[in-house]
Amino acid sequence: MLSSFFFLAAAEDGADAGKAIALALGIGLGSLGAGIGIGNIFGSMIQAVARQPELRGELTGIQWLGFALTEAVVFYGLIGGLLAYVLV
Amino acid sequence: MKRLLSALLLAALVLPTSALAAEPATKEDKGAFISEEWELHEWVPIHLGPLNLSINKAVAYLLLGALCSCLIGIVLMRVKLGRGPTRRQAVGETIYEVAQVQVAEQGLPTKAIGRWFPYVATLMIFIWTVNMLGFIPLPLSDEKVTIAGVELPTLAIFAATSTLSVTLALALMTFVFTHVEGIRANGAWRYFKSWIPEVPKVMLPLIIPLEILGQFMRLISLSVRLYANMLAGHMLILTFVGLIIVLENVFLAIVAVPAAALFYLFEVVIVVSIQAYIFAALSAIYIGSAIEPEH
Repeated sequence: MLSSFFFLAAAEDGADAGKAIALALGIGLGSLGAGIGIGNIFGSMIQAVARQPELRGELTGIQWLGFALTEAVVFYGLIGGLLAYVLV
Repeated sequence: MKRLLSALLLAALVLPTSALAAEPATKEDKGAFISEEWELHEWVPIHLGPLNLSINKAVAYLLLGALCSCLIGIVLMRVKLGRGPTRRQAVGETIYEVAQVQVAEQGLPTKAIGRWFPYVATLMIFIWTVNMLGFIPLPLSDEKVTIAGVELPTLAIFAATSTLSVTLALALMTFVFTHVEGIRANGAWRYFKSWIPEVPKVMLPLIIPLEILGQFMRLISLSVRLYANMLAGHMLILTFVGLIIVLENVFLAIVAVPAAALFYLFEVVIVVSIQAYIFAALSAIYIGSAIEPEH
């Protein structure tokens, strides 16, 4: 059931090709958003540490929390895409 | 030492593929072996009525993970206090400090740390161990390879946390503890009232379903975050190594194996620890916010 979503096999069937494009588009757009978000987090972190280097230890925990919360958004897209691919 | 380690790493990444290459791949199902990694075959079937408690690959990894996290606790935390701190003690204290300062004190109110610190620290160590075991090639897989007449399971990487049922069970524990602790600390009426923010009365029919839905969305986001991170990490590595077999070109290994090794290092160094930390920290924050609601 799950077997054919990966590679070139999809191109042989029109419907599967459409699904593959949709899955790839979903993940791609999802990672676009997460990329902006992660860039924002680390950018702000660099600014914050540059202004107040003594706060670095306290900020690190919050930084990684924000990183993981943002990064997970891509994988919601991935799981949603895989679900749509398998079920539809 | 470093060269030996990197050579071992490469061997560990390449060895499972040689076993895969022996398999006759039909034309339609070239990429199938990747999704077959997540098919769980029953090793020791145990059926209790409608319950299926069979031991499969994920259960074996979980049992191993439980054993290893117990060992980590015993080896690193039960240290004889001597004159100077040994390295073992230093590592144990670092883990304890992360659990105490970064996880428990950030989420839990001071009065609840004594009761809930063991839970969040156990979550952190257990999830870290299971995630980490998922990136060490172990001879626990469904495929067999014959070496010198003896049938042995092939080396494979598989994390128990890359199956949804495991992460959902962990998230369900946090979910149940959150509400039990919230009701116990505040009383049922005050606790459920604290879910609803102060808004104009007209908005209430809109806000209340959203807030109740939000409580269940926590369950989904907590479990799917860990599951999807581990699943995607393993898929990336397997896909890159698998490209060699799918495209039937050995020279692709020049590109594919370093790329897979890069993803492997990224997962092992960053993602494994971050996900364990996040799961424990969010559990602490949820439980803490149930004990002391903001309103």
